[in-house]
Amino acid sequence: MDYAIETLHLTREFHTDEGVFKALEDINLKVREGIIFGLLGPNGAGKTTLIRILSTLLLPTSGEAYVDGFDVVKEANKVRKIINLVSGGERPGYGILTTEENLMYYAQIYGLSRREAKERIEEVNRLIGLDEFLHKRLNTLSTGMIQKYALARGLLNKPKILFLDEPTLGLDVENARIIRRLVRRLVDEGLIKTILLTSHYMAEVEELCDYIAIINKGRIIAEGTVEELKNMVSREVIYNIDVKAIETPKLEFLKSIDSVVGYTVRMSNISGEARIRIVMSYEDISRILDTLERNRIKILRIHQDRISLEDVFLKLVGRGLADD
Amino acid sequence: MIKIVRILRPAFARAYVRIFGGFREKSWLFWEVILPTIFMSSIIFAYENLNAPKVFIGFVVLGTIMMNFWYNVLWGMGSVLYWEKETGNLEVYLLTGSPLPSLLLGMALGGMFNTSVRSIAMILIGVYVFQAEFIPAYLPYAIAIFLLTLFSLYSMGMAFASLHLIYGRKGIRLNEVMGEPISFLSGQYYPINVFPTVIQSIASLMPITIGLDGIRRALILGEGLDTLWIHISILSIMALILFPLGIYIMNRIVEKGRRDGRLILRWI
Ligand SMILES: Nc1ncnc2c1ncn2[C@@H]1O[C@H](COP(=O)(O)OP(=O)(O)OP(=O)(O)O)[C@@H](O)[C@H]1O
Ligand SMILES: [Mg+2]
Repeated sequence: MDYAIETLHLTREFHTDEGVFKALEDINLKVREGIIFGLLGPNGAGKTTLIRILSTLLLPTSGEAYVDGFDVVKEANKVRKIINLVSGGERPGYGILTTEENLMYYAQIYGLSRREAKERIEEVNRLIGLDEFLHKRLNTLSTGMIQKYALARGLLNKPKILFLDEPTLGLDVENARIIRRLVRRLVDEGLIKTILLTSHYMAEVEELCDYIAIINKGRIIAEGTVEELKNMVSREVIYNIDVKAIETPKLEFLKSIDSVVGYTVRMSNISGEARIRIVMSYEDISRILDTLERNRIKILRIHQDRISLEDVFLKLVGRGLADD
Repeated sequence: MIKIVRILRPAFARAYVRIFGGFREKSWLFWEVILPTIFMSSIIFAYENLNAPKVFIGFVVLGTIMMNFWYNVLWGMGSVLYWEKETGNLEVYLLTGSPLPSLLLGMALGGMFNTSVRSIAMILIGVYVFQAEFIPAYLPYAIAIFLLTLFSLYSMGMAFASLHLIYGRKGIRLNEVMGEPISFLSGQYYPINVFPTVIQSIASLMPITIGLDGIRRALILGEGLDTLWIHISILSIMALILFPLGIYIMNRIVEKGRRDGRLILRWI
């Protein structure tokens, strides 16, 4: 098999108090070797569930999944040897031990001797830069440090395929950028063959991933390179309209306009303004502005914008990725 | 050879965390050693006040020590595994493909270290403060019986620990169920021949009862192999059954957990 990851009609159900819930439905993915593959989707889309199946922590209800050609169900132990998983916002390890001791612990769990583990930790340290907190106890690290530590842990067994579940969750802009750069380097320098990362940050996926699948409610609704995905909305027209603060529900009337494909609203608490991002199937801005004015919404600024991945999502799902 | 390393390395790594992590909590000595020893002393004082025969002091010391090892299995293996899951450590452990029994062995070894320190303190207090009398002639038999018993207890511990994964916080109830009645039946503070025969035979199904009886016979009553061979044989058979059974139950539960999605489900 030529794919780093391949799934065939993969489905996962959970039995809940309300009945059977399909967290993943008929997922068919083919991930080429040597790329960063992005799985983009809102909360509850099924990203973590998919990653857990691929990393052998959870069994599929039906369908098949292969990692580096190994069946995740029948050859779980072979899969485990060549993968690792780092989940953002998690802090596995022992708070009372230092970063180094924790890495030492996990290296030994992988079967390395103390001496081998020391060398490996040094290598990983050179790559990621842990000096600042290598001898600090884990329970005293900041979120940014923890994330670097978690990534370091994920490299201890030199995985061929790395799963990253929301690797920048909860990080500030600066730390998120550091992590993203590291992730990119891992693949560019051939240290990791293939990375599958999940995110619900558009910009992250757009910047980092060579290929993207958009997942919503357990189904893959689109996939392709950033360009290919953007081409899906190439005929659409996009505007950002800044208005005086409003409540989102008040904008329902926009939906009844023919040209409107979808819109998102982002509030700024500081300026008291809101930005409406509107995707239209054809140029129809004058009508939109009229309608807004008729509904007593005060328009501050208007400008046409280029297509982003978010607009693809908006078109496909009818709502923004960040909307509730 | 390689296989053994893959089993023992994770176990030692985990034991290291338990032991040296434990030392960093300065209250370690107080919780792990002083408090339990005071508790044991209070029982001995009660016996002395009732003018119980002197052998009872040794009974209490050995009974308390054995129960400590059992509690270490219940709390130090079962509940700790539950916390490993809650903190996400279990998830990361399972990813490595290292066998889960290694992790449990590591917890057990780590806990055993603490329990051993406590046991030594108890024996010293027993002998030097309360003049408990032990007959060292058959110490090797006592040690053999002790190790066989431990092996069975930790085999049972594997099964209990995996139940903790599925029942989550309710597992604490399980510990209570497996704690107090067993302490009662095993004769922690008295010989079990105070019970009617039916209860005695039920109690004898538990490795801890047989182990405790054997150790007491060796160290307090000075009995040799002519009676202790029974204990040694039964405990060996129990070990041979309980170990594979423990591994089997654990594997089944982990498999079931992967299927139901409860294996790494938190807050249950
Ligand atoms: N063990 C489980 N039992 C029952 N339902 C579950 C279980 N695990 C996940 N789910 C449900 O499956 C759906 C998908 O969850 P999942 O964690 O995969 O989403 P996600 O895309 O990772 O979301 P997020 O961005 O919030 O992390 C959710 O509705 C969740 O409630
Ligand atoms: Mg998730």
